[in-house]
Amino acid sequence: MRFPLAVAVVLALLPLGLPPYAMTLLTEALILGLFAMSLDLMVGYARLISFGHAAAYGFGAYASGNFLLHTSMPLPCAVLLSGLLGGVVAIPVGWVCTQARGISFSMLTLAYAQLLYAVAFKWTAVTGASDGLAGIPRNPGPFGVTWWDTKAGFYYLTFAYLACAFLLCRDLVRSPFGAVLRGIRENEAKTIALGYNTRRYKIAIVAISYGFAGLAGALYAPFAGFANTELLFWLLSGQVLIMVIVGGTGTLIGPIIGAIFFLYVQQKLSNYTDSWALFFGVIFIAVVLFMPEGIWGLLRSRFPRRAA
Amino acid sequence: MALLELDDLTKRYGGIVAVDHVTMRLEQGEVRAVIGPNGAGKTSLFHLITGVVKATEGSVRFAGQDLSSMPAHQRCQRGMSRTFQLTSLFPELSARDNISLAAQSRDAKRWIPFGGGAVFRDAARRGDEALQRLGLTHIAERPAGLLSHGDQRLLEVAMALAQQPKLLLLDEPTQGLSVEETAQAVDVLAGLFAAGDLTVLLVEHDMEVVFRLAHKITVLHRGAVIADGDPETIKADEGVQNAYLGGFA
Repeated sequence: MRFPLAVAVVLALLPLGLPPYAMTLLTEALILGLFAMSLDLMVGYARLISFGHAAAYGFGAYASGNFLLHTSMPLPCAVLLSGLLGGVVAIPVGWVCTQARGISFSMLTLAYAQLLYAVAFKWTAVTGASDGLAGIPRNPGPFGVTWWDTKAGFYYLTFAYLACAFLLCRDLVRSPFGAVLRGIRENEAKTIALGYNTRRYKIAIVAISYGFAGLAGALYAPFAGFANTELLFWLLSGQVLIMVIVGGTGTLIGPIIGAIFFLYVQQKLSNYTDSWALFFGVIFIAVVLFMPEGIWGLLRSRFPRRAA
Repeated sequence: MALLELDDLTKRYGGIVAVDHVTMRLEQGEVRAVIGPNGAGKTSLFHLITGVVKATEGSVRFAGQDLSSMPAHQRCQRGMSRTFQLTSLFPELSARDNISLAAQSRDAKRWIPFGGGAVFRDAARRGDEALQRLGLTHIAERPAGLLSHGDQRLLEVAMALAQQPKLLLLDEPTQGLSVEETAQAVDVLAGLFAAGDLTVLLVEHDMEVVFRLAHKITVLHRGAVIADGDPETIKADEGVQNAYLGGFA
């Protein structure tokens, strides 16, 4: 409880002392943090492993990109609406994917992501095909508000979305619904035998998780000013899964830390070598072998009293 | 009216008949054991009653309602709670959380995705009652996966009880227990059944356990009922002797 608060305070104060390029990096880290946290809802709480989470992220990015390019919808509304839309569209996807379990479920999520990737290449009117959508503006309003035009402004906007999403997700995993998810994670057959329609819970968490991932993608489009098919690619799905595992599954805050760590290491390593992914791979293997509960798990065991 | 009525319940897997036209009535307040040699279809019968497996033929009526086409989770919601032959718990959750999750499923607000203080308090109250009834209060905080096998078996019964079921189905409650643990578990169960408020269907291998706990016994052999009656009748039945008891009585 106190630790997330401390992280929040640090993140809120950081813009005051950071150079602009670091601000940009940190904003991207928070967006990816939101993305990773959304995946943790599925992976860490219901053991539903998505290999295609980029589908939701890319979907959100294209949705908000289109809203911002073609309407005068204010930026915060476009982002929120894209996230919601992502969640709603994910309901039938969840319905299909939860027909299967375990690795088959994962492969179905991957299949959906690749399907969307293929569609994005063909549907030029909406996605700009291989060129993507460029020049996505940060629409003003409501009431002519424009403070997110600056680096610091957009950072705070992202931070606000992340903080709200975190509080919502934390409430979710602590609710009766969250208790049932843990039951599904630990022993689905028993959860059914106790009288829960686990299928519905799984579809619901897929939709919620995809919705938050869509929100992250929807923030990314106006942040970067563009959206392209890479945001739907399986490489990103793999990277976000790595962020979740490195940060610590089933903790919500861990994946946010994992995303910041991922981006930081990527930045540092790519100064020295193009094959930074190779070195990150080594870090990933080390984490899986020696810190199975991730960075956050390690911190928590070091400072047991400070963790909630 | 009987609480549970099975009519010509049959399950075929290809050419193999696992459960063969079983007809059975279970009255309110009755404790009935289903016995039979390995492969007699006892667990299959449980799966058919609880809806884990769909019947090929026949019907399951429960509290006057036909449940034959109802999925497992809905049958449980109607008031059937079961334990598994192989212990089935949430190993990383504490015993209390295990039982709370069981009790929560009887709450209309079991699914709400925010808050839920009242749901948890209510579940904890019913859970604590069940823990106490089975003498498990002292292990409430321990992760279920780390409990002794005997306590795990009883925890599963406590979870079923916390759901305040109309019908309790126990699949070999003493399976895998040592002699001492079995004796202990049987004492606890006998105490539980003595209150007379439970209707129980149990599968059991251990004849001593069966004769101590059950009012009525149904004997299955190759999926079919070959005898049905009170323990004395069953002990005396020649067909049962040949098929299964091997001169135990």
